[in-house]
Amino acid sequence: MRAMDLDELNERAISAARNLGVDDAVALSARSAESIIRFANNSVTVVNRVEEAELSVYLAKDRRRAIASTSNLEPQVVKKFVRDLFSSMKGLPESEYVPLPEKAVKYSPSSFGYDRKLENLDERLVEMARTAIQAATKAGGKRSAGVISAGKATVAILTSTGTSGSDSRTSITLNIRSFAEKEASGHGLSCSSTLSGFDPEGAGTRAGEGAKTMKGASEPEAGKYQVLLSPAVASNLVEPVAGAASAFSVDAGTSCLAEKVGKAVAAQPFSLTDHGVTPGGLDGRVFDDEGVRTKSNRIIEEGVLKGYLHNLTTAKKWRTQSTGNAGFVTPHPWNLEVAKGDSSYEEMVREMKRGIILTSNWYTRFKNYRTGEFSTVPRDGAYLVENGEVVKSLKGIRAGDDLLRLFSSVRLLSKEREWIQWWEVDTPTLCPWVLADGVTITRAYG
Amino acid sequence: MGAERAKDLASVAVSKAQAAGASYAEARVQSTWERQYVLKNGEPQPSFFSEGYGIGIRVISKGALGFAATNDMRRESVIQIARKAVSLAHASSAVLKKPVAMDGSKPVKKKWSPPEKEKIENADATWLRSVLLEIEGRVADGRAGIKLPGRLFFLGAELEKRYYVNSDGARVEGRLPRVGFVGSLTAIEGGATAQRFIQQGETGGLEVVERVGLVEKVEEEARAMGKVLRTATKPPTDRLDVVLSPELSGIAAHESVGHPQEADRVLGREGAQAGESYLKADSLGRRIGSEEANVSDDPTLIHSNGFVPVDDEGVQARKRFLIKDGVINEFLQNRTTAREFGLTSNGAARSVSFDREPIIRMSNTFVEPGDYSTDELLKEVKHGVLFKTFTEWNIDDKRFNQRYVALEAYLIERGELRGLVKSPVLEITTPKLWGSVKARSKHMEFEAAVCGKGDPQQGAPVWTGGPETLLAGIKLGAR
Repeated sequence: MRAMDLDELNERAISAARNLGVDDAVALSARSAESIIRFANNSVTVVNRVEEAELSVYLAKDRRRAIASTSNLEPQVVKKFVRDLFSSMKGLPESEYVPLPEKAVKYSPSSFGYDRKLENLDERLVEMARTAIQAATKAGGKRSAGVISAGKATVAILTSTGTSGSDSRTSITLNIRSFAEKEASGHGLSCSSTLSGFDPEGAGTRAGEGAKTMKGASEPEAGKYQVLLSPAVASNLVEPVAGAASAFSVDAGTSCLAEKVGKAVAAQPFSLTDHGVTPGGLDGRVFDDEGVRTKSNRIIEEGVLKGYLHNLTTAKKWRTQSTGNAGFVTPHPWNLEVAKGDSSYEEMVREMKRGIILTSNWYTRFKNYRTGEFSTVPRDGAYLVENGEVVKSLKGIRAGDDLLRLFSSVRLLSKEREWIQWWEVDTPTLCPWVLADGVTITRAYG
Repeated sequence: MGAERAKDLASVAVSKAQAAGASYAEARVQSTWERQYVLKNGEPQPSFFSEGYGIGIRVISKGALGFAATNDMRRESVIQIARKAVSLAHASSAVLKKPVAMDGSKPVKKKWSPPEKEKIENADATWLRSVLLEIEGRVADGRAGIKLPGRLFFLGAELEKRYYVNSDGARVEGRLPRVGFVGSLTAIEGGATAQRFIQQGETGGLEVVERVGLVEKVEEEARAMGKVLRTATKPPTDRLDVVLSPELSGIAAHESVGHPQEADRVLGREGAQAGESYLKADSLGRRIGSEEANVSDDPTLIHSNGFVPVDDEGVQARKRFLIKDGVINEFLQNRTTAREFGLTSNGAARSVSFDREPIIRMSNTFVEPGDYSTDELLKEVKHGVLFKTFTEWNIDDKRFNQRYVALEAYLIERGELRGLVKSPVLEITTPKLWGSVKARSKHMEFEAAVCGKGDPQQGAPVWTGGPETLLAGIKLGAR
């Protein structure tokens, strides 16, 4: 038995599909390898190495459509897998069907986003973890927990209309949290598509400094505050806005951007773009799941919603073109970018009369995706600002709002931006600090 | 992949890891089979199926833990990845403060599967679609008394098979069929909207759909949304009693009892992701609630969504009494945390896939039943609010400060349910919540949920549940 390469897998799958007389077929095969080191209490807790490959196949026949994926890639099995998928379609009803683009495209990998130095770090991750822990300790943290993940992924496509190609990505991310006391913690992230852009020492230092400054934190009065959101917090709240821009979400009733195209949904300084591939982007590729070339799509421009993200099916329904964001079922963003502003972080703090700086958050949950009403729980560094000065650190708070009101109240954006991808942010996002007005802050009162 | 080949590869992985220097080794060959169907506003979406398998190998070498996984099931690849797990563990021991070791749990040799009347493999796209069309027929076009312009339904059938072996002598073979439904309903009337996510699931075969009354439940939820939009009024904000329905009792038990009593969180291992705990290693025996606060986690419940009779470290699982008569009684343990506590594991290690390490997880977490009938319990309330269903919720990463926003909630006056109230908010600390428990009904219900934890993330199927739980002297907010 031997391992097939991705192109060979795709060819077998499409050949089998053609023999079955399908109208359309797409084979997407992917291979990935990821090394992960986790630590807690300044000590490594586990090292992971995961190597995987998968084949996904889309078939359409007589307006019936089905998708399947398998990790069983033994050469003799692929043909049966496609046959089984085809058989499963017989009882299906007709559904919305849009043929794949007739013109075959041969895709070449994008010229950025892959760094060979990230291919097999393995044991070097141990040294990086040590660097991050030591930096956090030096900056004031007593004990640190975190994870470094480094990986590479290649995706190859072949369609029944002859479109083919492959693209590859590498990424390395560190999420570190340092504790100076049980309830005094700080957070640091470093996310990069290249080894040279990875800064475990800087992330560790930020986590340690945050922990040190959170000692003696207290609960503020509940009420409405200006908030200065770090790139990590802002990215966590930008991601559901991009999700709401998926035409599938709009159709399903789970989008706060429904019926808003051409209307103001954010303040004038706020612009949001999705990139199929972009310098520094940790995800994405040059083609989407339907073989359409990905591109940069402006979702929100100077506060106005420009349009939704589409695959071929949603585009037909909305009488427009695919934006290169397929998902066979659900269009989705690849790499998000929030436009930078022209303020420094220090200038933004000085602008605050009475506000709160939030450096990290988690557990964002929605009361209603249609209205965008949510609350989220700040954690790690949170600071009360009065008349442009940080006066004390805060704990025990919750921030609540609705997404459109929040982004409509944005006043300033920083000129410094950071790539964010971690436990609370799936879609890589290049994001500045964001200053917004009138966010409701609550604390437990039951 | 045949069972014999899986067993052979798992055994080879363990022996080669030991030969490479591992003091402990385990291997798990896990396969998955899934069929899913999606209906959006009545429109069929492409049906989906997946199948696959792989092997995960976990070792201890020089006191450090290493995990490696692959779905390249060629013998030489499996041997290579087993050696990789050992070499990574070995290298990481350079940044190790405290060596890891397994407890002395008795290794289990067992083959298990839950009851399954109608084989899960019969769940083809036609059957899945027929169930969703029945639901659609009950709620579309205003048939449930409310216009629902947003209807999104997922129904899936899945089968997990696993073969587990470790160097302590455990040999476990499991077959786990499950049916799961997720639905999103968006109602709009008079310019107002309401939204509800519904999740139902159990282990078993196709009979699960009827056993949980899926079609009727979705219809009932839709009808309630209409009533909420038309009649709900501002909730009271004075101090009053709150009755948590089984759904609310369950989410509170899961979030503010189950999670903070995961021993790995207590010890800080999840600090950078899911967080730590407001409890410490010496919190066992601490009073956290009233005498009426009793919360358990039980992986052995038949039909349950979190059914795990033998855990993914080869340990016989058992019921865990987390809070007993208001006192912290037990943490959820795996073999390494149990050893740190000087205990033996209570079988809480789970992995959701061959490529994920087993970590401490809840299974089915619930408030224990009391003695009251539901009516008797409501009669105890002079002035209060019943939280029947919820939408938004969250909790801090120490599991201390939590919030639940109700969708369907009723004013209670002198023991009688009055009208609906709009979006009452319970924002409360964990000691306050469990310290306020005054009474519990004997009527138990469970909800399916997916619990998130780990990095890489592992979404584990669980049940949350309980009886009606009466909290005395609570202050509510409003959304």
